[in-house]
Amino acid sequence: MALRANLLQSTWNYERQQGIGWVFALQPALAALYPDAATRRARAVEHAAFFNTQPTLASIALGVAAKLEEERAAGAGPDAAGMARVKAALGSTLAALGDRLFWFSLRPFAAALGVLVAIARPNGPWGALALWLVYASIHLGARFAGVGWGYARGPAVFSGRLRVWLETAVTVLAYGGCIVVGVLVANMLAPAGESRPIAVESALASGLGLGLLTAQRARPSPTQWALGLGTLILLAAWLRPI
Amino acid sequence: MTGVLLLTLLLAGVAVLDATPVAQTLLSQPLVTASLLGALWHDWPTALAVGVVLQILAASTLPVGSRTPEDYALGGVVGVGLALALDHGVNLQPWRDSAQLVGVLAGLLAASSGVPALRWQRRRNEGLARWCEAELLAGNEGAPALATAAGVALSFATGVALCAAWLAVGTLLLRAPVETESLRLSRAWTLAQPIWLGFGAAQLLHAFVQRKLTRAGVFGAALVGAWLTLVLGLL
Repeated sequence: MALRANLLQSTWNYERQQGIGWVFALQPALAALYPDAATRRARAVEHAAFFNTQPTLASIALGVAAKLEEERAAGAGPDAAGMARVKAALGSTLAALGDRLFWFSLRPFAAALGVLVAIARPNGPWGALALWLVYASIHLGARFAGVGWGYARGPAVFSGRLRVWLETAVTVLAYGGCIVVGVLVANMLAPAGESRPIAVESALASGLGLGLLTAQRARPSPTQWALGLGTLILLAAWLRPI
Repeated sequence: MTGVLLLTLLLAGVAVLDATPVAQTLLSQPLVTASLLGALWHDWPTALAVGVVLQILAASTLPVGSRTPEDYALGGVVGVGLALALDHGVNLQPWRDSAQLVGVLAGLLAASSGVPALRWQRRRNEGLARWCEAELLAGNEGAPALATAAGVALSFATGVALCAAWLAVGTLLLRAPVETESLRLSRAWTLAQPIWLGFGAAQLLHAFVQRKLTRAGVFGAALVGAWLTLVLGLL
């Protein structure tokens, strides 16, 4: 199931979002729990409905769903509507925590660290390795262990230490990110201890100032701002005689 | 050269897969693909110069909820690949700077143009999902696996095709300007690179600080401490 969770988003769409990936990942559990083909197919159709959450922590929801299906197969556990409610609740809880931890904290942290290492050691793949190893080791670790966490603790998986641990990780990454960006800006100003020309430092400071101002609003996106800035600089370079 | 180009296209397909449909390990990030392309084309300086700028701009682009983010998996390979193709075998610094500037701009455009392509794929996936549900109801339990394989194949093919189109058009249209206007473009690069880096660093800083004073203080202390350490040569 954990291996199949890597393909959770392969058919992501606006209607069912991760629904088909979810049932594909859950199929080994359904196959083990329901020897009767008709019941197994009925369960698979139930699970093919809408589902969406943060993809790393979706493994935990898969573990919980497998546990509940085990109870259903034994004649206990929730009915179809109850299972849908548990999935919806888990999906939103995991998305709230997972988005903050993986998308808003770990991903920018890994990117900042990668850029810092690439600027400090520009002749090799060290920046890329730092970025990839920091993110992928935690992401894949949580994905593979998550099925077991969810299965062992069931729907109460977030009432214990796991939630506290994840919240703490978000805070630690935020402070770590502030340190990494501070060191990164210092390296941009004076790579290897050599101060850069005043024009370059001014351009860097202008970019920082503009970035902090524009970050207050979601639109235009940073990419659109970057494209606009690039176009303006190109125009300026063209208009100024050589 | 042909083999290197084909491997570049293959990398685009793999990066697009990693971004959403398969694994999501951040192999798709511009810095990672830039390093792989740097090794492939034997040109670290150009690959990393473009990759670092695209990476810092990509860092605040997040695939949250049903939002369709800019496609930096494609943009990273297109930007770095185009810069490497344009300055391949050239040792003149203005030419190389021009290729890097053009590479970043092409990467940003490719990332932006990837949004409608991603939406198109997601609409095709709606059809796959409906087909899968109908097949499950009809008793075909292999349907989710087939739909998954089809989704993966569609993403890979789209990534390769878009990257091929960008690289073909980019090298055809931009080789001449990079060669003849290299002084102007090089001057623009010396200004654009630090502005983009500063802009991207600010977006990252905003994501971490979240208007909390203590975090801003930690950033300030780290900046001053690292700057003093570098300038005084304490490392």
